[in-house]
Amino acid sequence: MSRTGSPHTPHDGSRAPAPPSRRRVLALAGGAAATLPLGGCGAGAPEVRGGGGGGGAGTVSVYWNAGHDYAAYRAAVAAFEKEHGVTVRMQKYQWPDMRTRILTDFASGNVPDLVEEPGGWTQEFALSGDVLSLQDRLDADGARMGYPDDWQPAAVRHNEHRGETYGIQLHQTCSLLLYNKAMFRRARVAPPTTWEEVVRVGRRLTTGDVFGIALNQDQSYAWPWLLQNGVRLYDPESRALLAPRAAAVEALRFQADLVHEHEVSAVPTPGTDYSGPQKLLSAERTAMILSGPWDLEPIRKSSPDLELGVAQVPRRRRRSTVLAGTSVFIPAKARHPDLAWDLVKRLTTLRTETAVTEKEGMLMPRRSWTSQPVVRDDPVTKAFAEGLTYAEDPYRGAYLTGRYGELSVDLFRNLYQGVVMQRRPVEEAYDEYVSAGRKLIRG
Amino acid sequence: MPSKTTERAPAERPGRGPHRRGPFARGPFGRGPLTLRARRARTAYLFLAPALLFFAVFYYVPIADVVHTSLHTGPRADEFDGLGNYVDAFDDPAARNSFVVTLLFTVGTTVGAIVLGLGLALLVNRPLRGRALFRLALLVPYLTSVAVVGLLWRNILDPQLGILNRMLREFDLPTQQWLNTAPLTTLVVITLWQISGYTMILFLAGLQGIPEVYYEAAYLDGAGSRQRFWRITLPLLAPTTLFVAVMAVISGLQAFGQAYIITNGGPADSTDLYVFHLFNVAFRSRDFGYSSALSVLLLIVIMVFTALQMRAGRRREVRY
Repeated sequence: MSRTGSPHTPHDGSRAPAPPSRRRVLALAGGAAATLPLGGCGAGAPEVRGGGGGGGAGTVSVYWNAGHDYAAYRAAVAAFEKEHGVTVRMQKYQWPDMRTRILTDFASGNVPDLVEEPGGWTQEFALSGDVLSLQDRLDADGARMGYPDDWQPAAVRHNEHRGETYGIQLHQTCSLLLYNKAMFRRARVAPPTTWEEVVRVGRRLTTGDVFGIALNQDQSYAWPWLLQNGVRLYDPESRALLAPRAAAVEALRFQADLVHEHEVSAVPTPGTDYSGPQKLLSAERTAMILSGPWDLEPIRKSSPDLELGVAQVPRRRRRSTVLAGTSVFIPAKARHPDLAWDLVKRLTTLRTETAVTEKEGMLMPRRSWTSQPVVRDDPVTKAFAEGLTYAEDPYRGAYLTGRYGELSVDLFRNLYQGVVMQRRPVEEAYDEYVSAGRKLIRG
Repeated sequence: MPSKTTERAPAERPGRGPHRRGPFARGPFGRGPLTLRARRARTAYLFLAPALLFFAVFYYVPIADVVHTSLHTGPRADEFDGLGNYVDAFDDPAARNSFVVTLLFTVGTTVGAIVLGLGLALLVNRPLRGRALFRLALLVPYLTSVAVVGLLWRNILDPQLGILNRMLREFDLPTQQWLNTAPLTTLVVITLWQISGYTMILFLAGLQGIPEVYYEAAYLDGAGSRQRFWRITLPLLAPTTLFVAVMAVISGLQAFGQAYIITNGGPADSTDLYVFHLFNVAFRSRDFGYSSALSVLLLIVIMVFTALQMRAGRRREVRY
């Protein structure tokens, strides 16, 4: 505001300025108060002080999953800060909140320097041009860090887009059968190895308000069964969605039957997280669940006396399970891409990976990690390491449709929950999903 | 209340009459002293300025930006698409489903809020022992955030580990899958549990504003308690009822937290509330243009509903 005259002072300056009236003071104070929220708008936004680009004093902003704040990563970050004379600002989020945040950042252009993502975002955001290609950096540093030779092929593929690498796999996990050994012993059954055995063993284990198995309300947990029946979300060559149809329908019906026909699983309850089955296993209200290493710590913490067993998933047409895990990427507009790249290299060394596995039980993407004593000597980690050899990414190919979110979450959740929770006829729900999905892909 | 300034006012109005030029009129040629009216107007605008600035920056500019974004498409909403997003919205079964779900939710919460709020207000308006404590207890859920309420009820309603089913089991009663068999009704009930205390307070204020003399006159004329309620209480509470209805409809149409915290829109989109749906369109599907169009449509719906309610409410206003 350029005008400074008070009601007593015409703007031509013909009078001497009068002292501000009480009204004016109040008005100015009100105006100042209104500007306060504006000042708060930048709070929490990625902050950069000092030099940008390749180094110098400043703050490197990192978005990290709230559950992955491991001591080994903190140590790597501390060494990085010391060497570069920078501060790493680790902002921790749950995945949905991080997605909201990063999309807002992309829109504003004020992005962090490094982002951990839950799988799929790297390709999705590479498609929209929001992720920096790491190809030049990998061409220079790849051999020294063992990339791609020392990474599982699936982990490399998972972060590629049009022949270039846009992200580096940080964790690589899979779902296996977690079970209560004591309950199995009492029922005199062994972990099931086929779908038929799942039903048979489930019946033996189901008594009163204890269920043999607990299905998850989260639709992504349907995928081990679908993969075991040879189903993929999307085939870019044939452009088929959730095919082959008969196998997909059979896998979905099998899961619905576990709940409604055989009654060996409770009806999953709709919700916002995937911890329901883990809580039931911890409370000894179910004997087995299909889940990954992320549920190990909550089970051990909440039920330290529970005899937890880990078995390979049952077979159908083949043995398969969901390949999951997180990657890290550098946004295209990051202010410190070189610093971020150096941090990526430190966070993905074999030494850091081994330390994280030792302390947290997390699974890692390096091939050489599988031969480490910490993996070989621990039966649980060893079982998961074996699972990684046949685990698959069910969404591969779907990322490039630009409709991965709707196909794998929104529409698929509708299909899965409709069939498993609401007993919708499987064929009808399946056809509805495929029809809506095709329409989406056509745009 | 007359003030000194008001009393002097006629003598200080040289700008009135043929030379009047509006609220900021000065003397001849705009250089003379300000009229009292102009000074008052300027003071009023100065006082309003912070609020106007606040509303402009945090409401009107974002609304204009949302309207602008709604005409674009693409991950960055930077490709002009005209009214394409609006056309898509009318052709989108998921958007239609979420709108219907939200309408049902709004009807349930609005009717429930009025009936429960009025019922509770009538109850606590009577001379009861511990009345203040009772009123406070009913208001506490309203003071609790939706997130806390959501987590609380999720734990209570969990079919295997929740308190409610455990109690049913204790009494040998069949357990219920609350969030599977009647998910939307369950959300309505949870919302009513949270907001009824607030509507009770509003109705209580309305009840206490009705002059006792009307009831005495009706009593002397031989009116029973039911007649007094239908002929005096309810008609004279019409402004309060209108206010509660308008606010409940607006908050019902804008409901988000219930789906976000409790059901995640499930099972199978049966609780996919409209704002939750458009949030997912924006942040899961990354379609900010389409999401903005859905927001604009919601704004229009809310404005239409509010206008209709205000009109209907004014027609039924009763004065004795």
